[in-house]
Amino acid sequence: MLEVADLEVRYGAIRAVRGISLAAKRGELITLLGANGAGKSTTMMCIAGALKASAGSIRLAGEDVTSAGPETMVRKGLATVTETRDVFPDLTVSENLMLGSYIRRHDRVGVAEDRERMLALFPRLAERSAQPAGTLSGGEQQMLVIARAMMSRPKVLLLDEPSLGLAPAIVDQIFEMIGVLKRSGLTIVLVEQNIAKALDVADRAYVMRLGRIAASGTADEISAATDFNAVYLGG
Amino acid sequence: MTFALQFLIDVLSLGGAYALMALGLVIVYGILKLVNFAYGELIMVAGYTLFLVGGSGLPWLVMAAVAVLMAIVTGIFTDYVAFRPVRAKSVTAVLITSFAFSTLLQNAALLFISPRPRNVPLPAAFSQTVEIAGVITPVRNLITIAAAVVLLGVFAFLMRRTVLGIAMRAAATNFTMARMLGVPANLIISSAFAISGLLAGIVGILWIGRIGTVVPGIGNEPLLVAFIATVIGGMRSLGGAVLGGFLLAFIDTTLNYTLSQELLKFRDAFTFSLVILILLWRPEGLLKGPATGQRT
Amino acid sequence: MSRHLLTIAILAGLVLLLVAGVEALGIRVFNRIATNLCISLVLVLGLQIFMGNSGILSFAHIGFMGVGAYTSAVLTIPAQMKGMALPDLYGVLQGIQLSPYIAIIIGGLVAAAVAAVLSYPLMRLSDAAAVITSFALLVVLHTVMTNWSNVTNGPRTLFGVPRATDLPLAAAVAVLAVVAALAFKESRTGRLLRASRDDEVAAGALGVHISHLRWRAFVLAAFVAGIGGALWGHFITSFSPNAFYLRETFVILGMLVIGGANTVTGAVIGTFLVTGAFESLRAIEGALNSARIFREQVIGVTEVVLALAMIAILIFRPGGLFPTREIGALLARKFTKRKHAS
Repeated sequence: MLEVADLEVRYGAIRAVRGISLAAKRGELITLLGANGAGKSTTMMCIAGALKASAGSIRLAGEDVTSAGPETMVRKGLATVTETRDVFPDLTVSENLMLGSYIRRHDRVGVAEDRERMLALFPRLAERSAQPAGTLSGGEQQMLVIARAMMSRPKVLLLDEPSLGLAPAIVDQIFEMIGVLKRSGLTIVLVEQNIAKALDVADRAYVMRLGRIAASGTADEISAATDFNAVYLGG
Repeated sequence: MTFALQFLIDVLSLGGAYALMALGLVIVYGILKLVNFAYGELIMVAGYTLFLVGGSGLPWLVMAAVAVLMAIVTGIFTDYVAFRPVRAKSVTAVLITSFAFSTLLQNAALLFISPRPRNVPLPAAFSQTVEIAGVITPVRNLITIAAAVVLLGVFAFLMRRTVLGIAMRAAATNFTMARMLGVPANLIISSAFAISGLLAGIVGILWIGRIGTVVPGIGNEPLLVAFIATVIGGMRSLGGAVLGGFLLAFIDTTLNYTLSQELLKFRDAFTFSLVILILLWRPEGLLKGPATGQRT
Repeated sequence: MSRHLLTIAILAGLVLLLVAGVEALGIRVFNRIATNLCISLVLVLGLQIFMGNSGILSFAHIGFMGVGAYTSAVLTIPAQMKGMALPDLYGVLQGIQLSPYIAIIIGGLVAAAVAAVLSYPLMRLSDAAAVITSFALLVVLHTVMTNWSNVTNGPRTLFGVPRATDLPLAAAVAVLAVVAALAFKESRTGRLLRASRDDEVAAGALGVHISHLRWRAFVLAAFVAGIGGALWGHFITSFSPNAFYLRETFVILGMLVIGGANTVTGAVIGTFLVTGAFESLRAIEGALNSARIFREQVIGVTEVVLALAMIAILIFRPGGLFPTREIGALLARKFTKRKHAS
């Protein structure tokens, strides 16, 4: 479904991502692990089209999308939840969701159905649908950005650190939702600091270090073979 | 009582014009973080278009519509030829480009039309006066108030109730995120310039209606007004721009009625000093805009 | 160090070459153009001192040029002429008549003092707020110049300013300005300021007081602008406040942007190129007008061309012709490369 080959991303003279390759099959959940600064979020933003690749290629459902802009990527079926949990703080929850369905705004019936489904999945959002998104708690904002991303009916979902800075109970809830989404057949790329939880839901995992893939394999292989203290503490 | 009404009409008609000018500047600034120095020239374009179609014998409203349309087209056109190629480079580069483009358009008017004032066709209503409760006031003041009310209403509806408007507000806070939801950057930017041109065109006709002629530098004063108003009200808040416009009109009108002739000459120095003070006190203006924005 | 000396030698040499060439030709028009060029050079270098090092666009610069010009004019107009030129001048100033050379320096100092007082609080603003306030400052200065009739003769032309600027003086000041701009760029303040321009957060973390550094650059820039304005006043001998407004701002900014705002070399080359192009175009304009080919006067060609050139430069070479390195460093590099190659 999603294939990344020899991808390289630069910020000026700095090579943040130095030739990585990864792939996710239809319905698969892959996770990208690694310390801060390993290049995970840069990889995600580049796949999403918000950063330009300086080398390598990205293919989505067999089509080359290496140089597509972010708005094109959404139309091709890829939705992104960024690490910075970017709700539009002045817009209401409803308006945020509405923008999530921007590319299918003429399909009123379908959008209304999806909206109901999302609000059923995240009942907290239903209660606050008329509130500005900036007034939501961190956990609610995370639910909102996931729901908003789902409103475009993506084939592939990029999830960057969905548990960042959230209370353990909320983290459990979020991962439960990720499980639900996965079972619905969605292809998911997950970046996570919470390794145990990530490996728990993932089919396969990639470990990134200093802009390169240091290890890859099934979730079980990776959790058995990788010394995560070394990966995260730079040992 | 008569004086109060007179004062009110003065403030509302001047404030309505100022608010529209400020709104046209801030809609582009909010999305692109671009202070568009060429904004005043959109008013000039509307004026000269009105002058050029003046002899055509068309109904006045059609001529006015053509003039507004030209302002819109010029707004979008400047973005494509001048701003888009330099946008990725630096904020300063875009600023200098807009300043250069402003000079370019003004001097093109000097060169191809004339440095001398040109008459524009205006309907008779613009030069008539009317008496309301003992106050004699030009009809064009009432037209300005009406136009401001209608436009501000339409604008508010557009920004709050339509998908495009909501997408524009989203883009003003976080352009990249809006694009990652599928909102096309070009559509948002061109819409911002189109709205800017529309407001400049309409306010331009009202503004030129006060004197009946157009000169190459006609846009300078509206540009300054828009600067002050947006700075007072908050450079990233649409509501702030409107508030700033009315506040500035209130200050100007009050100074007009109270300052002696000798000091009145320094009015601009007073208002611009006020701008500097407000920026020092609140660098974001009186009304804070949405949370931090990003450029494309 | 040697590459800085090389830069100074080349840039000063360019100015001296111009003076020598013009003096040898002995044509009056060329003398006027060359003097104007040297004065523009002083103004452009002043703007470069602030903009090149801080990275912030300033519109106020030409306002300080005006402050310098009016200060020096008021101090030098002969006492017997003052009754006519400035009928409402304050009594204290009526009797004063200084040598223009002293008055030019005072003009710079007054401009610097005004800048020092007005700008200190403004220097912590960045981006759009900084640009709009500097624009507001220009409008304030212009409004004051236009209406403070006692000192400026109001919007009317102020005449009777003694002529004191000739080509050698203007060229000498221009060379001094080149040296000052380079010295400031390489000074501790200049280096820190440029570091802060590239990364405001990091420089702040190092404990650098950015607004204070910007302020120093701004005051020095205003001093140079004041000197430039005073020089110009004593060259043109009569002027009105409109000389110190948007058109002049545009021309000076255009010279700097085309040459490259980050380098002193860019400022110098930009001034030479734009002056050359301007004078040729003006000659064409003049020829067209005197030949009466068109029914109306042809005006505005120079500005249209300069504006197009500026936009083109910003699109295709946003750093200007000399974006990062001074001419001395460029040549030194070329030389060492060739040595390595052989």
